[in-house]
Amino acid sequence: MSRKLLINILSIVFLAAVIIALPIMLGSVYWTSVLVIIWINILLVSSLRTLKLLGHISLGHVGFSLIGAYGSALLVMKVGLSFWISIFLGGLMAAVIALALAYPFLRVKGIYFVLLTLLTAETFRLIAWHWPSLTGGFWGLLQIPSPNPITVPVIGTITFDSVNSYYYLTAVIVSLSLFVLYRLERSRLGFKWRVIQDTEVLAQSVGINVMWHKMLNFAIASFFAGIAGALFAHYQHALSPDSTARFGVLMSIYLLVYMVVGGEARFAGPIIGTVVLTVVSELARGLGEYKPMMIGAIAIITMLLMPEGLVGLPNRVKLWYRKLLKPKREMQGSA
Amino acid sequence: MPLLEIRNLGKRFGGLAAVSELDLDVGRGEIFGLIGPNGAGKTTVLNMVGGTLLPTSGKIIFRGEDITKFPPYRRAQRGIARVFQRDVLFRSLTVLENVLAGFHLSSRTGFTEIFFKGPSTRRQEKALREKAMEILQFVRLDRQADEMAVNLPHGNQRALCLAIALATQAQLLLLDEPITGMGGEEIEAMMSMIRTLREERGITSVVVEHNIRAVTGLCDRVAVLDYGRKIAEGSPKEVVENPEVIEAYLGVEEDAI
Repeated sequence: MSRKLLINILSIVFLAAVIIALPIMLGSVYWTSVLVIIWINILLVSSLRTLKLLGHISLGHVGFSLIGAYGSALLVMKVGLSFWISIFLGGLMAAVIALALAYPFLRVKGIYFVLLTLLTAETFRLIAWHWPSLTGGFWGLLQIPSPNPITVPVIGTITFDSVNSYYYLTAVIVSLSLFVLYRLERSRLGFKWRVIQDTEVLAQSVGINVMWHKMLNFAIASFFAGIAGALFAHYQHALSPDSTARFGVLMSIYLLVYMVVGGEARFAGPIIGTVVLTVVSELARGLGEYKPMMIGAIAIITMLLMPEGLVGLPNRVKLWYRKLLKPKREMQGSA
Repeated sequence: MPLLEIRNLGKRFGGLAAVSELDLDVGRGEIFGLIGPNGAGKTTVLNMVGGTLLPTSGKIIFRGEDITKFPPYRRAQRGIARVFQRDVLFRSLTVLENVLAGFHLSSRTGFTEIFFKGPSTRRQEKALREKAMEILQFVRLDRQADEMAVNLPHGNQRALCLAIALATQAQLLLLDEPITGMGGEEIEAMMSMIRTLREERGITSVVVEHNIRAVTGLCDRVAVLDYGRKIAEGSPKEVVENPEVIEAYLGVEEDAI
């Protein structure tokens, strides 16, 4: 037990060291900015998986991310709030809107839910497009300020203008969010989600308010999508409602692909999927317009060879290895 | 005052009256049988009492409270537990986890315990685990506590369904064909469990069954449904001897009794 704990602590320390050292090791603003987007996407895909815990597949997660992004940016620019409050309020706005939509939405299942979420996200995007006085319309929202500097005793004042410092900010906020999502899944609330997902009618009859728990799940997932959106807004300093940009349908599909390729059954799945596919697609930048084909090929190969996703790769390798070794062992035995 | 009162209950599916003008009283501690030929509306009645179906007319009163329009989870909170037909249980969970899921009502999630499990939370979890094991001992599944529920044989799955219902601290059990598809020994075990629950904890049961011999052996009182209407009610002996029942329920095979 204590040995296991030690290994856990050591691997967390190692992981933290790698996360801290990465921008320094890479020494490139370009790759560090890729890492920032990876962090933000990890939070989006992980919260998408939170919905999947109750069997819901959403193609509208970017819509709630948009609420958080525009919400936080506008609260800073028009109301004059500090980033440190607006990011939280951005998430909260996404959660409240999700909660308001949840009751009608969660009454439908399967493909209908997918379509409803997809159309909702598109509606949010088109509202941002057609409301120039508030959102800047199709030009987008420009000159979104960086987070306010903070003063820490001993270390001094930290500013978040550079890519490197924003990387650390994102790493901390996303890690904290992931910790919350992880603990939630293992709490009694997460247990109820498992129970509901297993057999809804029995969950009802042991006294679980199924609808409320689904709504809560939807709100929590949307809250973190909103946080991810806010992180994106203050990093890019600009938001565009264009369909090819951050909040379009294609992005929704990519998020889903990241989740499935990584493996949605395990918490680490979306993280691995996002990291691997983003890095691959960055490396394949030279392919230009063929890049989506590359992602598609990886997705298809993974789904065919590893239905449990990349997260199941170690087990798969063990299995293949054993299959390869077994005949040899039998030969040795007979000799 | 009866524990469960059903007044003028009716359910129509389109033009079809599945249940009409039904009146029933079930007393505290009673084992009440609901029998009738296939399609007589027995399960529909159970669904309306359990809350998975809403009636088109009439009232359901439990412990003096009108619960006609309550959703299922609120009925569970009031003390009504359903044991479904077939094997409706949490298939991806272990046997013990199934019972723990039933304990949902007696456990509360605090906000802080999501991030940190304090000693009081741990104590509460341990106590729930022990209570769950007690229930599993009662239904004789304590040895299989860590097995996956889906891997249990049919009879044991039915016993687990009962265990889940017991975990909700129910006053009233709604048992839908609890012994259908079971062997002789399993039938005896299930029937004696239902009796023991009444004797030791005063738990009331409403049993829907096809197996008329089992029902007459188990129930204090029986109501017979035919085409959604109650055609007889009384002690099992009276009901079985009622000529109308023999005609409706047993048809031409009256010699078979």
